[in-house]
Amino acid sequence: MELPKARGGSERPLLSVVDDDESVRESLPDLLGELGFAARAFSSAEEFLASDCLAQTSCLILDIAMPGMTGPELYQELKRRGQEMPIIFITGQRDETVRARVLKQAAAGFLLKPFSDGALLSAIKMALQDS
Amino acid sequence: MDAQVNPATQEVKRLQRLINDLVSLLALPAIWSSNEPAQIVQVLLDALLRMLRLEFAYACLKDPVTSAPIEILRIADSCKLQATPQEIGMMLSAWLKQAGDNSRPPAGSQFGKTDISIFPVPLALHGEMGTIVVGSERADFPNQTESLLLSVAANQASIGMREAELLNKQKRIANELDGRVAERTRALAQANEELKKEIDERRLAEARLLQEERQLKRSEVHKAAILDSSIDCVIAIDHEGCITEFNPAAEQTLGYRRNDVMGKHLADVIVPSSLREKHRSGFDRYLSTGEARVLGRRTEMTALCADGREIPVELAITRIPQDGPPAFTGFLRDITERKRNEDALRAAHAQVVQSEEQWRSVFENSAVGVALTDLTGRFIATNPVFQKMLGYTEEEFRQLTFFEITHEENVEHNRTLIGELLDGKRQQFQIEKQYRRKDGQPVWVRNNVSVVSGTERMPRFLMALSEDITQRKLSEEALAKARSELANVARMTSLGVLTASIAHEVNQPLSGIITNASTCLRMLSADPPNVDGARETARRTIRDGNRASDVITRLRTLYSKKEPSPEPMDLNEATREVTALSLSEIQRVGVILRWELADDLPPVVGDRIQLQQVIFNLIRNAVDAMSTIDDRPRELLIRTQRDEGNQVRLSVKDSGAGVTPQAAEKIFDSFYTTKTDGMGIGLSVSRSIIDAHQGRLWAALNDGPGCTFSFAIPCSPEGLSDAETPANRTDPADAA
Repeated sequence: MELPKARGGSERPLLSVVDDDESVRESLPDLLGELGFAARAFSSAEEFLASDCLAQTSCLILDIAMPGMTGPELYQELKRRGQEMPIIFITGQRDETVRARVLKQAAAGFLLKPFSDGALLSAIKMALQDS
Repeated sequence: MDAQVNPATQEVKRLQRLINDLVSLLALPAIWSSNEPAQIVQVLLDALLRMLRLEFAYACLKDPVTSAPIEILRIADSCKLQATPQEIGMMLSAWLKQAGDNSRPPAGSQFGKTDISIFPVPLALHGEMGTIVVGSERADFPNQTESLLLSVAANQASIGMREAELLNKQKRIANELDGRVAERTRALAQANEELKKEIDERRLAEARLLQEERQLKRSEVHKAAILDSSIDCVIAIDHEGCITEFNPAAEQTLGYRRNDVMGKHLADVIVPSSLREKHRSGFDRYLSTGEARVLGRRTEMTALCADGREIPVELAITRIPQDGPPAFTGFLRDITERKRNEDALRAAHAQVVQSEEQWRSVFENSAVGVALTDLTGRFIATNPVFQKMLGYTEEEFRQLTFFEITHEENVEHNRTLIGELLDGKRQQFQIEKQYRRKDGQPVWVRNNVSVVSGTERMPRFLMALSEDITQRKLSEEALAKARSELANVARMTSLGVLTASIAHEVNQPLSGIITNASTCLRMLSADPPNVDGARETARRTIRDGNRASDVITRLRTLYSKKEPSPEPMDLNEATREVTALSLSEIQRVGVILRWELADDLPPVVGDRIQLQQVIFNLIRNAVDAMSTIDDRPRELLIRTQRDEGNQVRLSVKDSGAGVTPQAAEKIFDSFYTTKTDGMGIGLSVSRSIIDAHQGRLWAALNDGPGCTFSFAIPCSPEGLSDAETPANRTDPADAA
């Protein structure tokens, strides 16, 4: 499997995960690791914005519904800061209007929980190629 | 011996005997005088039989009055002949006819088997009175002497019979005369009797006349007394109209003094000037033509009093029955009072008629049904609305009691109420009940029933004002049905919403399970396999699997039970469970959730599932209310606390748009909603659930933004003893 190169010259591209669900933050980084990526997890948009990972993140895996700043709101904030990056939205809500809206707003991918590792990998590949 | 007798002597003896016989015959009339002809002939026949030594002597006579034949037969004792007079008559009749004209038939005729010389002797010159036939055995019968004797005898008999006949005639005439005299006498006696009676009557009449005269005298005294004491005014006038009598009542009523008006013209005294001309002309007309308009009947007039007042009077004038010029008596009565009463009565009557008409109009035109029944419930009268409502005619109703058309289920209750009404325990009552129409269709009515106290003419009766509420009842039934359907829809709707949020809830552990399982597989497939990593991810998979299972269990519990089953329960625990189910929704909308659950909350008795549905509803509504809020934090506070009056309260406070005070009550109605996508049924169902728990559900605006929905329900009796302990009590404010 040929993986795209990470930004900043690192061997393994960094994927950041922002989700208020602990089980996602717990399991997803391990899977991403198995898939050959470096991964970091944040419990909220605010925590991610406050971290030093923004610049190194090649792709953001972002939950839509979160207490405080929601996923789409974080996207707006990043865009406002000029720190746009490929984003794969993940959500447990089967809501087509939300899906259409976020995809239109330059989302690289949209995954409905629960998703398979295959679907996740293709979405990541797509996102990294687009960038 | 005879031959020896001297013939002269014999002749003398014969002649002497003849003279004796003749004397005897001539003496006969002395015997038979005034006797009947039959008796005369009988005596004669006996004398001849003896005198002439005959075998028999027969006579056939004509009854002088009736002309019927009378046959008489005398037979000598020595004779052997035995026959009745009729038999002899029969034997002789043929011979008699033959010898009819021959007054002297030949002697020695044969009679029967015996040789008997028979000899007929006519009575009267040509036998007009009958015939005597004599018979003797002697062949020479009758000799000269015997013939003489026979003719003398017949002559004597004829004379005797004629005399007897004359005598009879005289007797008859005398009798007739006697009869006439008697009759005339009777008639005279009767006439006499009648005359007597007439005389008696006349006497009686005279006596009566006398008495009447006395009475008349007495009645004149009476009349004077009556006149003086009469309540009526009595005024008499003569033929010129001048007053001849004026009694005390007239003085009192009209104010004139008797002495002042006596002899004055009536018209100048009591007749008002406006009527005087009419009075005079009427009076004159009567005198000249006899035509009377006021005589002999009661009329109402106006009379003039001494003080100038004119009063209504009733007047009756009669002509005094006396000879000579006419005179009149007037009976006059002041009817001012009566007039007034009559007017009042007339006015009252008019009022009664009017009020009756009004009542009738109300009855007929009333928009509600009106039915009057007797105390047994039998219809007396019904108005058109009532008739139309039930489909019976007035006549058909009169054959019915209202119990007969009342639904069986209502009859007993209805009867009880009527009983209380009749016992005076209540003035009236209202009943909602079902009637059966004539066509069998049910009609719901609300009846206002009262008992109407009777009058002299009418006994007590019942009056029912009947309003057809069938439509309302049907609406109510439809509403109740709709409400129960709504409750179901609400459940289904909240289930739908719940399913979505549950899906999210389940998806999270599910998502973890799949991710962990994928990772686990990859770790085991690596070279070398990462066994420690795989163990860790497998452990997480099991943990997330259990977590998903818990969610499913809670979901199943929430929706599996249908019938409410009250049980002691911990409201805090129930709240936590529901909140856990709503958590993802809360988080999705970005709501900050806070808990303030009282530690000392006493248990309540209720249906856990129903109460959880209410809490779920309140939380969902709060979250929805805040979904559009951007200018302030979306905050949700769920609080439980002890309330006054042994109640437990749960409040859900949001920072949403809030409700206007006007909407605060309406939001509990079905279908009221301020949300564009909501059904608006959650709150109405919630309120009915809390009502069923003897609790209260209400909404209140916060001091700050948003509003608070709360319910309070009684805590269970077992929980009270603990809760009452002051040590366990925490002020709600402390919890907050």
